[in-house]
Amino acid sequence: MAISQAVKKAVTLAPTVRTLPSGVPVAPLLNLAARPAHHDDHGHGGAGPRVDTPPRWSSGVSRTSSGLVSKTFTTISPSLYQPHRLLHTSVAVKEAPEVPDFSHYRANNNESHRALSYFMVGGLGVLSASVAKSSVSEFLQTMAASADVLALAKVEVDLTSIPEGKNVIIKWRGKPVFIRHRTPDEIQEARTIDWKTLRDPQPDEARVKKPEWLVMLGVCTHLGCVPIGEAGDFGGWFCPCHGSHYDISGRIRKGPAPLNLDVPQYEFNEVDGKLVVG
Amino acid sequence: MSLSTAVYQTFFKRNSIFVSTVFAGAFAFGVGFDLGVTAFYDRWNAGKQWKDIRHKYVQE
Repeated sequence: MAISQAVKKAVTLAPTVRTLPSGVPVAPLLNLAARPAHHDDHGHGGAGPRVDTPPRWSSGVSRTSSGLVSKTFTTISPSLYQPHRLLHTSVAVKEAPEVPDFSHYRANNNESHRALSYFMVGGLGVLSASVAKSSVSEFLQTMAASADVLALAKVEVDLTSIPEGKNVIIKWRGKPVFIRHRTPDEIQEARTIDWKTLRDPQPDEARVKKPEWLVMLGVCTHLGCVPIGEAGDFGGWFCPCHGSHYDISGRIRKGPAPLNLDVPQYEFNEVDGKLVVG
Repeated sequence: MSLSTAVYQTFFKRNSIFVSTVFAGAFAFGVGFDLGVTAFYDRWNAGKQWKDIRHKYVQE
């Protein structure tokens, strides 16, 4: 029981700075051996007792009749003067101080109304995707071929369906096209004429690629009426508007028209037996 | 309650499925909206358009 060694322990200290893992507060500059200074010549009452040391009477070694005794009153506060070293925490520092506190509006749990929120976002996505698709497709549609360009498209005619000596009228570029499957007699008739004396001199060979197929625009060169086939004085066509007569090769013979019936661009598709106009 | 959770799990959880659903929905919405508005327009202007009175004039 004779303990001569004073035990330094951290006991019932008021909350203060951080503690070491063992529980001892960290006070690096603390001098436990310090005693209050006795200044008698301080005019204003002096510095007062040092407040960080325990009072003498609270602990220490004393000499008794049975030897040295160390007594520590563990419940004694380590200082007489008790500054109110209260535990306090500073106000919680916000991460973004300018942002108001939304805790009142937050959902209780994460899953409530989650599906609704996502549905709203998805709905807006659906609408905007639909708008974008409509815009793009409409703008691209304006770049598609317009009606007049489509009218310029080629026309195919099945020649096997046209017997000899027959006229066929097809529509191409909005205009009628005469196709005649000429008989050998008609070809002969067309070629024996002296074409140089005609109003618009043109040999029959220059007007047809194949002699039996006469392809020409059915528009009178006078004022644009459609001549009637197998009519007129020359075995060809007759325009009823002003009386222009065309022969079996489509050349003008009589009447006010100045030129022969125009021959459009065409090709023969030998394999399929088709004529492609345009 | 669990319906919303089920919907969330199947459609909204993975973004790839979400975006695919949005595009499919946009396609369906486009078609459906077109049909719906056309039907409404025809009904609103019934008897005034050519297709309504065509049968009186065209000889087939």
